[in-house]
Amino acid sequence: MLLQQLINGLTLGAVYTLIALSFSLVMGILGILNIAIAELFMLAGFIGITALMAGLPFPLALAAGIAGATVASVVIKFVAYDPVRSSPVITPLLTTLGCSIIIQNVVVNYWGSNPLQLPFEFLGERLRYGPISIGSMQILVMATSVASVAVLGFMIQRTRIGRGLRAAAENRDVARLLGVSAERLTIVAFALSGVLAGIAGVLIGMHYAAITPYVGVETGLKAIAVMVVGGVTRIWGALLAGPLIGIIEVMTIAHGGSQIRDLVVYGLMILILLIRPQGLLGGRSSDTGQRV
Amino acid sequence: MTQSILKGIAVGALALAAVAAAAPSAMAQDGKQIRIGAIVPSSGPFAEWGRTNTVTLKMLEDKVNAAGGVNGAKLEIVIYDDATKPAQAANSLRKLAGDDNVLAVAGPLTSSACEVTFPVANQMEIVAMSQASSKPGVAANNRPWAFRNTVDEAILAEESVPYLVDTFDVKDVAVIYDAKDAVSTAIATKIMPGILKEHGVEVLNDGDFLSFNTGELDVSAQVTKIISLDPDAVVIGADYSEAITVIREMRRQGFVKPVIGGTPLISSAILHAAPDIPIIAPATFYASMDEPRAKEFVAELQPLLKETSGLPESIEPSMYDANIYENVSMFIEAVEKAGVTGNPDDLAADRTKIRDYITNLKGFEGLGGPISFNKDGDAEKAFFIVRGEGEKWTTVVHGCSSQGGDC
Repeated sequence: MLLQQLINGLTLGAVYTLIALSFSLVMGILGILNIAIAELFMLAGFIGITALMAGLPFPLALAAGIAGATVASVVIKFVAYDPVRSSPVITPLLTTLGCSIIIQNVVVNYWGSNPLQLPFEFLGERLRYGPISIGSMQILVMATSVASVAVLGFMIQRTRIGRGLRAAAENRDVARLLGVSAERLTIVAFALSGVLAGIAGVLIGMHYAAITPYVGVETGLKAIAVMVVGGVTRIWGALLAGPLIGIIEVMTIAHGGSQIRDLVVYGLMILILLIRPQGLLGGRSSDTGQRV
Repeated sequence: MTQSILKGIAVGALALAAVAAAAPSAMAQDGKQIRIGAIVPSSGPFAEWGRTNTVTLKMLEDKVNAAGGVNGAKLEIVIYDDATKPAQAANSLRKLAGDDNVLAVAGPLTSSACEVTFPVANQMEIVAMSQASSKPGVAANNRPWAFRNTVDEAILAEESVPYLVDTFDVKDVAVIYDAKDAVSTAIATKIMPGILKEHGVEVLNDGDFLSFNTGELDVSAQVTKIISLDPDAVVIGADYSEAITVIREMRRQGFVKPVIGGTPLISSAILHAAPDIPIIAPATFYASMDEPRAKEFVAELQPLLKETSGLPESIEPSMYDANIYENVSMFIEAVEKAGVTGNPDDLAADRTKIRDYITNLKGFEGLGGPISFNKDGDAEKAFFIVRGEGEKWTTVVHGCSSQGGDC
């Protein structure tokens, strides 16, 4: 059972990592917590499953989910971030919270409050090794999680857009003086976070073969904990903290603590904030500002 | 200064006009109208139930008015959405009783909402009758104005558990439940374990029940733990939408064992989650049941549900549609037979007449059989233990919740 629970924990951690990346990108560059990301991945899950049920092949369903989440994310930038960008950080937190409620309502009104279930298990075959088994979809989720971190890391470190994003994150005004278009980069940051939320949503929907309009809050809050534990300013932190929190959560359940697992997970988050506020992979203790 | 005084007068005048417009009587004799309230969750986790409840009530309103109304007065059903939030349900009841001056209220739906709203109903002295709450003691703790047109889950489990044990030769079970839902927690952690033990069944994770939270999609760790216990059956305390997550995960991990739960499991959606896993649950109504009045109700309501946007293709009338239909029908019968005047000055007396009529009601013709109420305010009515398998429900046990067994 231990090995099986480890696989469960790694899969759950991969799910958290994917969503934490989306949070981390906007948080790292703009210094705001875009709460609506929790609902963007839920929206992408609904779009992806609907597309699969309509007979579209997986790549097109994935593209549809990503497109939906990206468009919604950019819309959020214009309606909930731009008008309040000079306000205290609590204001965009509240406006994006408003957007998340709107997205949830739109989904309930369009798809209903019942879980949207795939009538079949997508990539349902399981590899069995004695008492343990792992599904193809679980492997895909874990591989995508690692690949997303690697691609995002490469993009941030090695590409022109990435350098611009890092410059804006370091000092927005100086970056502007040096010719970096802050407006364009803000759109890129929101769009990229939408892409990541879209990938997460479609894969999560297909992994569980179902999605509900209320999945965002529970999973989104855990992803925020992953971002904090890993280090808000370091995207690689999500790759460490996601599986860590996933395994801690699963092992707490396995060893008689399903009723206290949230206490354990969020307790760990508070503990990390107290003893290492920059997160596990954050830099110096003073390095808690916005930076990718 | 003058401007602010004028503004103040204008605002005051508008407020007075609004208050005057918003203070209707329950039965405006000159306007020929009687007013009943309803609280349903049209948004939030049980939006499907709330929306079909709304369609059901509109259908009933149209039907009654087309037949000449209630004692010649037009029926108006004022419906508020509580979004499955207890505080919003309590506020809705205050508004219905205090502002809309309704005669009685159907709802709210969940036990969590009833636990907060029923005390307000007692305080405001208006009948509130839930269409779905079945957690033990919720109406009993709020007498005399609280009623539930449902059967206590403990009574239902007394019939469903023996069927499970005998049919599947169950020696032991594991328990999993939604920790954020009041009735689910009661079913899984109190009602079922007690009755299962009475029938000689061992609860393998007694004292260490597995839980998850509403909205969680990943219950793989919990299901792996259940598999490691190797029970003969699984008790799921959850509403159908959350139970679907557990059942699908059981199937994904290759664990096909019977599942037992309470009335919140009943839905058509859960049948599609894993058609090979038998689901045992109690119901007082289900869409395919073989009762003449129920069939007529389904035939009437089903097309209207299909026409309603925001509801899934596979939507069917639920048990809670049947219950809320019966709730308002009982109120109408009370208005017609208990001498309700509808005079605004008699509002308190009219509400008391309705309460007394419902309290003493015997043999009301419900969709699944006659309905009465016990001293706890819960319905005494026929119920069925149903088995879901192969994407359909089948009645396996007929029961009656009255002490004399007269349903």
